[in-house]
Amino acid sequence: MKGMMKYYGQKVIWYVATLIVAVFLNFLLPRLMPGNPVDMLVNQALTGSTDPGVREQVVQQYTEQFGLDKSLPEQFLTYVGNLLQGDLGMSISQYPRTVNEIIGSAIIWTLALQIPAIIVGWILGNGLGALAAYLRGGVDKVVLPVFMFISNFPAFGLGMVFLWLFASQLHWFPVGGGYAADMVPNFSWDFVLSVLDHYRLPFITMVLIAIGGQAIGMRSMSIYELNADYVKYSRFLGIRDLTIVRYVFRNAMLPQVTGLALSLGTMVGGNLVAEMVFSYPGIGTTLFDAISGRDYPLLSGCTLIITIMVLIANLVVEILYGVIDPRVKATQQDS
Amino acid sequence: MLHQIKQVFHSPKFVAGFVIFVFLLLFSILYPIFSPYGPMEMVGNIFYAPGTYVSVVDTAQSSEKVTMNVDTAQATLDATLTDDTRNKMKTWLVNQAGIAESDIDIEDTETLISLWNENYDPELSTGMITADKRAYERLNTQIQTLEESGGIILATEDEEGNLEVSEEVDGQQFVNVNDVTNKVAFPLGTDNFGADVMTKLASSIGVSLRIGLLAGLIATAIGLVIGLLSGYLGGWVDNLLVFITNLFTVIPSFVILILIANSVGQAARGPMMVALIIGCTGWPWTARSVRSQVLSLRNRDHVNLSKLSGHSLPRIVAVDILPYLASYVVMAMILQISSGILSEAQLSMLGLGPSTAEATTLGLMMNWAQKFGALTSMSWWAFIPVIISIALITFSLNLMNTGLDQVFNPQLRDS
Amino acid sequence: MAKYMLEVNKLKTKYVTRLKEDVYAVDGVSLKIEEGKSLGIAGESGCGKSTLALSLMGYYFAPLHYISGDIIIDGVNISGMKPDKIRKNILGNEIAYIPQAAMNALNPTQKIIRFIEDVIHVHDKSMSKKDIYDMAVERFRILGLPPEVLQKHAVELSGGMKQRTVIAISTILSPKVLIADEPSSALDVTSQKMVIKMMRELMEKGFIKSMIFITHELPLLYNVTDDIMVMYAGQIVEKGTAKEMVFDPVHPYSKGLMGSIIVPEEGTRDIKLEAIPGTPPNLKHPPAGCRFAPRCKYAKPECKLFEIPEKDFDNERMYRCIYDVDYLKEVYGRNG
Repeated sequence: MKGMMKYYGQKVIWYVATLIVAVFLNFLLPRLMPGNPVDMLVNQALTGSTDPGVREQVVQQYTEQFGLDKSLPEQFLTYVGNLLQGDLGMSISQYPRTVNEIIGSAIIWTLALQIPAIIVGWILGNGLGALAAYLRGGVDKVVLPVFMFISNFPAFGLGMVFLWLFASQLHWFPVGGGYAADMVPNFSWDFVLSVLDHYRLPFITMVLIAIGGQAIGMRSMSIYELNADYVKYSRFLGIRDLTIVRYVFRNAMLPQVTGLALSLGTMVGGNLVAEMVFSYPGIGTTLFDAISGRDYPLLSGCTLIITIMVLIANLVVEILYGVIDPRVKATQQDS
Repeated sequence: MLHQIKQVFHSPKFVAGFVIFVFLLLFSILYPIFSPYGPMEMVGNIFYAPGTYVSVVDTAQSSEKVTMNVDTAQATLDATLTDDTRNKMKTWLVNQAGIAESDIDIEDTETLISLWNENYDPELSTGMITADKRAYERLNTQIQTLEESGGIILATEDEEGNLEVSEEVDGQQFVNVNDVTNKVAFPLGTDNFGADVMTKLASSIGVSLRIGLLAGLIATAIGLVIGLLSGYLGGWVDNLLVFITNLFTVIPSFVILILIANSVGQAARGPMMVALIIGCTGWPWTARSVRSQVLSLRNRDHVNLSKLSGHSLPRIVAVDILPYLASYVVMAMILQISSGILSEAQLSMLGLGPSTAEATTLGLMMNWAQKFGALTSMSWWAFIPVIISIALITFSLNLMNTGLDQVFNPQLRDS
Repeated sequence: MAKYMLEVNKLKTKYVTRLKEDVYAVDGVSLKIEEGKSLGIAGESGCGKSTLALSLMGYYFAPLHYISGDIIIDGVNISGMKPDKIRKNILGNEIAYIPQAAMNALNPTQKIIRFIEDVIHVHDKSMSKKDIYDMAVERFRILGLPPEVLQKHAVELSGGMKQRTVIAISTILSPKVLIADEPSSALDVTSQKMVIKMMRELMEKGFIKSMIFITHELPLLYNVTDDIMVMYAGQIVEKGTAKEMVFDPVHPYSKGLMGSIIVPEEGTRDIKLEAIPGTPPNLKHPPAGCRFAPRCKYAKPECKLFEIPEKDFDNERMYRCIYDVDYLKEVYGRNG
């Protein structure tokens, strides 16, 4: 028990350290570039905006927020100070909304789409890999390769294909957005139905992309486990094949949990861009708007929030793994 | 070594991947050579559908007209009276002429047209907006022309401005496409800039492959150096490098990519700059795996022997470690190339891709198609071939990687 | 008349390799074990003794296939039974197995008690978890295993403890026949001794009624089992009591097998240490006639022509050689 507490403690400390580095990079990378970044930002902010009131507001906003006249370490402190107060600044492109406000409304959409999509994709992928290993034949030779091929599409690419084919051509799905364009978000039954209607295609796309990669890993893990000695021993004690298959897949699936943690960053990246293709009102679309609107504070807020989401997801997966796999517990007790 | 290469080419997976890859590579090199247009040249206008376009004047003036024994009227009728048009006719007949809906069968062309001819009167289009009224008038004219067997008269204008009939062309006359001097072929139509998609695609595959290759080389080189140092030196160097590597494995490279690409600014982002940025963020995977390989190699007998013989570190690494990593590094690099190509597409989709007037990439083509509404205007040719190309490139690279893996790690071979 | 716990008549099985070749690893093996007795089977690696262990249980799955012969457990012939019936009624219950590699025989992510529950529920669904737990604790206590093991995962146990746990699990339903395939080979000497002691206890306490112990170490058998059989190329070449087999083997192969092992037992010191020349035959294409003939220094041309039948001699002893027992004894007398 003590070993496990230490294990979790170390994990949490490590992730906090990583978060600090991530925040630092978020601050530093844009400032490493030649020229005064804030001048650049102000210039960027002013393209397309002719209202002198806005210009003044923006300049003042930046001067306050970034501490123009101060040194780099001091600027960093200001930045961290603002972050700790939960203040991500003002958006330029959607002035006068704050970055917090924009991200706050977008993040629910992203979480509601990506967490279920990744988990369902992971489960289906593992199921398919397990079946391919156990049944062989058609599943292994036909179904699995098809999903393998699909997983080579970038999520946004497959999203475009599906939008064209299933939404524009066949009218099976709406052509994008998070809900019908003529609706205002509320808690009515109609709105929920509309949200679900718009949810389907991006969800299916993200699930399909995830299946192939998970399946191939699960397949080789399952083949390895099916040949393990405990399988033979259990058989000779009269245990049913179905029960043995349960043992095997549990054992094969556990390392897949870590596999999920490692591929999370890549998956989330592709899925966020797919959000944009579907004009889904999540962080991905917000990120795109920030880039095309040259809205630096919003961009910085998005990248920070994405990093935090991925870090938290990783931490959760690692802690979960420690709980469900006794092998981790055993190695912790040894040390 | 030769034996292993032979073995690699006996792996069906590798060969399949290799064939697809070489096909795409040859296409990207050869097609632009034979294509009459440049990849960025505005040949046509926005989103022309795939096909061969022939000059109307050349066709009309061709002296080689021949007569075919083909019922052109029926084909033209079918092409004109699409389901959409038939439904429009029905709507008018029901709403303006007051005919019962049950009396109209839109599948029955003959009755539909006779019903139309009996009932259509522009005066009846009351209560409709002008645009719709006009549309129905045009439709009526079209239907009347169809009825008149489809012949047209070509006329020339003389010096006094009078028209003189030079030729009458009837519906059965055809011209050999080869006799038409001016024609333009767009096997995949045109894109939003009016450029030939096929040529642009070939050129984009080339540029994307180069970006992937450069990004892969850089990422592999950085990963290899870090992995070697970390694994071989051990101690605090290892601890530090492992910490950094883990850090960048957990922080999504996608985020760092965006931050750097955005800061570099649009003007400075050429294709090679993008490749450089991708390469600099993609190394942690390679570093991790190289390190674990080096750790297992470090205590092998031949390495110990070399150490005891007093060989220098660079020599040990170059002679006793690197050759054993070679197959591994090649595999890692193949994966890096494929993820480099995907990263470029991802950046471009977000509007942070290469910005240059001379070259185009697969990601940029997708980005433009998306931006200019190719999806909603049904111009599939502007993005479907691009997406399939990306998938084929990554698929072929992954297949080659799996094939190599099976040859070099025999325990992974299927039983 | 003695009651036989296990009778095997002319059992023939094969396994199919990846390249679809048939390997006849058990070729007409017959044996009998009385209640309360133990039988050792010895032979070089690749002689088919592990395949025999698996074949004896009457439960076949790829790549192992049944060809012919009878397996009779306590008077019941199981060789014609449906596999699912064997699985439910025989395995673990009547006949139990201890695998060669006990290190990995337990599912690493399952608690020992959960596995025991699964095993017992195959045969008796009526037992509650509480009953099973009480029964397991009692059995572990008698066998000298700490009951805490039950609440642990296999990964948390040491090698020797894992092997003893496997033995306890295999015999938890007090089977009539226990088949142990090299249960101690991979262990250190201390653990090895504990395992042997445990096997003896199982017999003494009546948790098992008979036992087959398979090993490549003849001297180990001398300490553990009542009878010994020597196996060569899928066939039994000699059978006798442990003492007879160690001190008075007649078949040239048994003799050679004794000679190739250093036996620290009294009276065996003066036997000259010599390895058997050559290698065991490839069982895909076993040699015609006596299978040992190609390696036998007494072989004559006829040996390679005719299949040699099993011959009985003395009291309950058996051997398979062209020569008379007396001649063989005489030859050894001269040479040894």
